[in-house]
Amino acid sequence: MGGTASKLPKELLSEYQELTFLTKQEILLAHKRFSELQGRENGPYGSRVSMEKILTLPELKSNPFRKRICHVFSTCDLGDGSLSFEDFLDLLSAFSDSATLEIKSHYAFRIFDFDDDGTLDARDLEKLVNCLTGETDDTRLTAEEMRQLLNNILEESDIDKDGTVNLSEFQHVISRSPDFVSSFKIVL
Amino acid sequence: MDEPDASRDSRKHQRNGPAADTRMHGVFTDADTGRLTYALSLSDSCLTVQRINPPSSPPSSSSEHLDLRDCLGSRAHRGEREDQGAYLCAYFYPHRRRWMSSSPVRQRDERRFRLVLNTEDNNDDDEEDVNLREAERWARAIRNSTARSMGNTHGVLFSEVRRPCGVMVLVNPQSGRGQAMALYNGHVQRMLTEADIPHTLVITERPNHARDLVRNADLTQWDALVILSGDGLLFEVASPVCGEDLLTSCGFQLCKGQTSALDLISIHLSSGVRLFSFLSLAWGFVADVDIESEQFRQIGDLRFLLGTLVRLASLRVYQGKLAFLPAENQPETHSGEIKLLDHLLVPLDQPVPQDWTLVEEREFVLVLAMFQSHLSEDLMAAPDARSDDGTMHLFYVTAGISRAALLRLFRAMQSGTHLDLGCPHLVYRRARALRLEPLSPAGIMTVDGERVEYGPVQAQVHRGVARLISS
Repeated sequence: MGGTASKLPKELLSEYQELTFLTKQEILLAHKRFSELQGRENGPYGSRVSMEKILTLPELKSNPFRKRICHVFSTCDLGDGSLSFEDFLDLLSAFSDSATLEIKSHYAFRIFDFDDDGTLDARDLEKLVNCLTGETDDTRLTAEEMRQLLNNILEESDIDKDGTVNLSEFQHVISRSPDFVSSFKIVL
Repeated sequence: MDEPDASRDSRKHQRNGPAADTRMHGVFTDADTGRLTYALSLSDSCLTVQRINPPSSPPSSSSEHLDLRDCLGSRAHRGEREDQGAYLCAYFYPHRRRWMSSSPVRQRDERRFRLVLNTEDNNDDDEEDVNLREAERWARAIRNSTARSMGNTHGVLFSEVRRPCGVMVLVNPQSGRGQAMALYNGHVQRMLTEADIPHTLVITERPNHARDLVRNADLTQWDALVILSGDGLLFEVASPVCGEDLLTSCGFQLCKGQTSALDLISIHLSSGVRLFSFLSLAWGFVADVDIESEQFRQIGDLRFLLGTLVRLASLRVYQGKLAFLPAENQPETHSGEIKLLDHLLVPLDQPVPQDWTLVEEREFVLVLAMFQSHLSEDLMAAPDARSDDGTMHLFYVTAGISRAALLRLFRAMQSGTHLDLGCPHLVYRRARALRLEPLSPAGIMTVDGERVEYGPVQAQVHRGVARLISS
């Protein structure tokens, strides 16, 4: 392990600055935190951190969509939600202050698309609502309330009436939310 | 039935009038029953109304003098269908001292009389015309004398009010049940014409068109703004410029229906802009929510649409400083003679007055000041609120609340039971004024659901200054 944490080479740092919305400081901080997560596994930059470890980060711990976030940004073929350092940077970039509305709404859409089929159907929306209403019985919606809510959402957002909300319909909804960009944020 | 040829006599008398300044005499009956007889005399300064009792009763000794300086207009019109008589209406707004109020305010006093001149002409059409012409003559004379009496006024304020009242009428044919145009064509236009008020009709083409117009218009050129909504509600909004109680002074006939007073909230933004609001001021989560989804009014009970869920998903915390003047500390909201003076507020760069409460918490999920009970058709945010209670209902939710709890709050708000939930993060206070200084760099602030500039803001309530008419 050694006494010092591994340093990020300058060329990589510049490259990351080009490819992401993150500033130099943000990238260096991300590197530090990611290294801490790696702990004794001080391997090459390609090595991944398991989803469990990622979810110990305080910035993600209480986010109801933390697992979906990991899955969306993970490039691991195994589908286990583990993140490489570059995956981690992608995540922070999308959730940064400087990311655009298009980027954020694109990722929000993917996060809410629980079955990863490219559209938000009633089942995705139901999962979304349940994530927000919590686990206890007094907060969860009744079957009737859920049915009505899903109808209302589709009524409002499903413009082409195909029973699902696609990306552009979703982005249309988002565009009416003026504070979305500054709310949809994860900053270390 | 005592209806002598007094009218004929009075017309004869007119030419050799007894007093130099008495211009006209006439005999009328009351417009409603026709059983009371009045002798009217018009001079340069007043309209004298004397009740004439039938010979069997003791003679009436009381004459009422209606000061023409309080008169706003007069008109004449025909009776309905078979009614051959003509009608004379005059509108007075004398100062009356209201019980418990410290200063007298103008109250509307409409006088209506019916006129039937005895003629020997048997031609029905002519008789109707003759009555109408005479009534019109009176109406003209009253108006002329009223105009002349302006030169005799003493107060500066009063002469400001007496310039011709221009009114902007905003009608949204699309909103609500679509009754706005019918209301305009039916009552509003007629009453504006009766009172001889020049007015401009603006038909709004899109949601918030009315608000944009009000926000951006040079309100100094209008004495009052009337907004007709589709639900048959009519809002009069005081122009922020004049010091006098414009609404009553503008000679609006509040015909039919009931009128109720409405609180108006004066809001100061950091840029110096002053706005008026009667619904809400919001910052944080609620401000992000699209309250104005008019097209969704028909949709079911649960209004939490996709946008709300998304905002809930990315719930954030806002830093800011909040202070308010508790309602208990300030019983009266009258500012004395000059209405709409924000006497409770000090400039934004000075600390708030001593008797204000400073909220300890600095991290909020939302701050919402409600002036009515409903935030939108199905969000009853302040169930205790009354439209003229002179109170701001201040709600704030501090950081730390879970998404589920917040969602629970919004659902409870639909039935007005959110205060019963016992949520430790939700605080409710009654206030007369508030100051909110956001510290978070980016965010949304809305007034009546409309976005305003983001920055320090303060507001004060003015009790019952606006009028709400329902048809």
